[in-house]
Amino acid sequence: MRVNMPVTDHEIIMQPDDILVTRTNLKGVITYANDAFVTISGFTREELVGNNHNIVRHPDMPSAAYEDMWQCLKAGRPWTAPVKNRTKSGDFYWVEANVTPVIKNGKVVEYLSVRYAPSREQIASAETLYQKLNAQQASLRPVGVAKWLKSIREISLTAKTTMALILFWLALAYLIYLSLPVLSWPVLSGLILAGVVASALQFHNVSLVQGTLSKSIDICHRLADEKFRNIIDLNRNDRMGDFLRAQYSMQVKLNSDMAYTREIASHAMRIKQALDNVQSNVMVADQNLNIIYMNKSVQETFNNAQDDIRTQLKDFDASQLLGSNIDQFHKNPQHQRTLLAKLNDTFTSALVIGGRHMNLTVNPVLDENQNRIGTVVEWLDRTQEVKIEKEIQSIVDNVKAGILDQRVDLTDKEGFFLNLSESINELSEVVENVITTIATVMSGVAEGDLTGAVEGSFHGLYEDCQMDINNSLEKLTEVFNQVREASDFIRNTAQEIASGNNNLSQRVETQAASLEQTASSMEQLTSTVKANADNAQQANDIAHTTQKLAVKGGSVVESAVEAMSEINQSSNKIADIIGVIDEIAFQTNLLALNASVEAARAGEHGRGFSVVATEVRNLAQRSAVAAKESKELIQSSVQKVRSGTSYVNETGAALTEIVASVKKVNDIIAEIAAASTEQAQGITQVNQAVAQMDEITQQNAALAEQASAASVSMSEQAVTMANLLRFFKMKEDAAAQLEPRPPLKNVSNQPTPSPAKPKVSSTPKVATSSSQAMDDGEEWEEF
Amino acid sequence: MADTIQLLSFSLANEQYAVNILNVQEIRSLEPVTRIPNAPVHEKGVLNLRGVIVPIIDLREKFSLPRLTYNALTVVVVLQCQLQDTHRVMGMIVDSVSDVVDVDSALIQKTPGFGDKVNTDYIKGLASSDEHMLMLLDVEKLMNLNPIEEQTGFNENRAHGTGGQS
Repeated sequence: MRVNMPVTDHEIIMQPDDILVTRTNLKGVITYANDAFVTISGFTREELVGNNHNIVRHPDMPSAAYEDMWQCLKAGRPWTAPVKNRTKSGDFYWVEANVTPVIKNGKVVEYLSVRYAPSREQIASAETLYQKLNAQQASLRPVGVAKWLKSIREISLTAKTTMALILFWLALAYLIYLSLPVLSWPVLSGLILAGVVASALQFHNVSLVQGTLSKSIDICHRLADEKFRNIIDLNRNDRMGDFLRAQYSMQVKLNSDMAYTREIASHAMRIKQALDNVQSNVMVADQNLNIIYMNKSVQETFNNAQDDIRTQLKDFDASQLLGSNIDQFHKNPQHQRTLLAKLNDTFTSALVIGGRHMNLTVNPVLDENQNRIGTVVEWLDRTQEVKIEKEIQSIVDNVKAGILDQRVDLTDKEGFFLNLSESINELSEVVENVITTIATVMSGVAEGDLTGAVEGSFHGLYEDCQMDINNSLEKLTEVFNQVREASDFIRNTAQEIASGNNNLSQRVETQAASLEQTASSMEQLTSTVKANADNAQQANDIAHTTQKLAVKGGSVVESAVEAMSEINQSSNKIADIIGVIDEIAFQTNLLALNASVEAARAGEHGRGFSVVATEVRNLAQRSAVAAKESKELIQSSVQKVRSGTSYVNETGAALTEIVASVKKVNDIIAEIAAASTEQAQGITQVNQAVAQMDEITQQNAALAEQASAASVSMSEQAVTMANLLRFFKMKEDAAAQLEPRPPLKNVSNQPTPSPAKPKVSSTPKVATSSSQAMDDGEEWEEF
Repeated sequence: MADTIQLLSFSLANEQYAVNILNVQEIRSLEPVTRIPNAPVHEKGVLNLRGVIVPIIDLREKFSLPRLTYNALTVVVVLQCQLQDTHRVMGMIVDSVSDVVDVDSALIQKTPGFGDKVNTDYIKGLASSDEHMLMLLDVEKLMNLNPIEEQTGFNENRAHGTGGQS
């Protein structure tokens, strides 16, 4: 016998409303356990289902009880008793076990166990009984007299009835035998008849009861086998009839309950089927977060994703998902449990697992009492969607990049993506068709074929494009005609421009030479100006020296003036002295004259005196002459000294002026020096400018030569262009004009090209204007 | 030598004049004179000469020659003569006294006539000395002014002079 250890003293009380249901096969292996049973047992459903039922057996339970149970069951009888069970953790719980065999088509196919919550009295008596049973002090079934009485009590009804009738007939026979002498034959025959009738009635009743019971048992089995359409006689008015009616009522009720249950089940099944078959990936977990349901989609999704997920979760097995706990998918299960336990509203999340893009929508599942009974998770494997998005994106990118021959592969698409892909393919098709058509025409144009046109029926902008291209081709044809004519003119003009440019080139070269001369002149000028600046600096120095010398001269002049003044004073004194001498001479002369007068008066006596007087007078006169000469000399000297003084003064003034002038000269020279420096800089700049001008002129010369060459090549290009234009194949009337026609005048006489299509209204105008342009050469510029 | 006379020569406006030395009292420097009211222009004033009042005449002005500014060398020749018993003394202002010359009286020439309009009355004669021409003045006529002045029409001057002289 299996002993499950360990055990604890902790009892888990079963709730009165709970019903624990299990199904076991004929060997006692659990094939089904309801949620209540799984919950209270503490085992997982996986641990229970497929295991023997004795996994929940408690060691306190006597084996006799189970033997009794198996005896009953093997005999096809239900069994009921309070049972003490053990949870996985060792705790215990009491149930009122009801076990019944399930009979289908008269054969026991499995056992059904239904357990209710027992009352405490039941538990108490059961504990006592089981303790006695374990102590071999009691038995479950009656033994001895009790067993005998029980067997008598349970003798079959037919046997009992037979025995009763035998006793009745024995008693009746004895009674008849005793009262035979007194009984008349009619009484006797009546009595016997009554006895026979009574026996027949009795047998009839017994057989009726037996038959009815057999039938009812059969019906009950049929009912148990969910066969509810059993024919039952409802018209009997006796108790039997009541029984049959009650049975019928029960059948109807059961049938209706069954129908209701089936309806519920079919509703549930329908929903399950619906869930099974919906595209959404639905997964349901119980409170313990064991996965209890997965629909086909989610299974398929995980089957598909298995390899990818395994890159991240090595032990992942899509086929083992159902029944497993979601904890294994989480690094921190407690966190997930807390999160889910608190969940009371829709929770959405997105995760990437092994390269798979998964969107999760989690909802709590509640029973009618708002108790949390599970969690429903919708998985949305967006991997394919993302892949298709990328695929469509690449197609769209290709279309954007002009790769139009790519199509979305439709084989692995369905639903929205199929429609979308088809639409995109259609779009690509249309675009490719349009572009290809246009490309064909345009490649024709590339090869010079202007006769083509975009054919086909287009709409909207494509039609506009088609019209525009066709119009463009017509216009091109016209324009090429005009271009050809223009190229003739250009050729002529280009030749003129070439000759003009040659002249220009020569002039520019002359200019360049002049500029080079100018540059060299400027360089000379630069050196001259620099020398000038140096000279100015030297002059400045000299002027400084001159100024100093002039100042020195000024002081010398002042000294000279002073000396002159002293000379003048001395001269004046000399003059005065000479004046005195002169006066003395004068007076002497007068005295001598008076002496002569006196001598004359004296006559002969005064003759000698007269001679002396004459001598004196002569001396006086000589003295006077000398004094006069001295005076003149001194006066002349004084005069000269005066004029000398004035000259010196003038010299002094002149020197002062010279000093001032030298200062001015100095300033001017400094300015000249500064100006020369600036000039030098200016000339340097001019020099640079001239150099640049020279460079530019040389570039101009080069450009003029290039322009000349360009004009020549333009002329050649015009010829080439005319030749190239012949490459284009045009419509007949237009092509006729492209034949070479050298003189322009003749061109104007050609008939104007008739418009290819009347709807192109601008064509005639262009033709007219071009013909006018041909008539008047001056209007070519405008054209 | 008996006929030789001594002359005192003097200059007046670059011309040499001469007077007989015996008519010369003395030769002096010009000293400040006392002007006499109403005297003629050429009579400059009077001078107290050792107690004798001597009239001073500017000979330039007397001879109608341009005036000359007086200076320290201006000389006054004091002349004397016996005139109608009157010893007259008179100072003549001349430019300068030149010399005392001895002249042969025979060589003294008469003054040539120049016609009515030229008054040559004061010139006694002309003498030459050392190639110079000396105009020999007649001192008496020079000092006796009145008739000459009447002839020359200087009545007013004479009246004054006369008045001054008297």
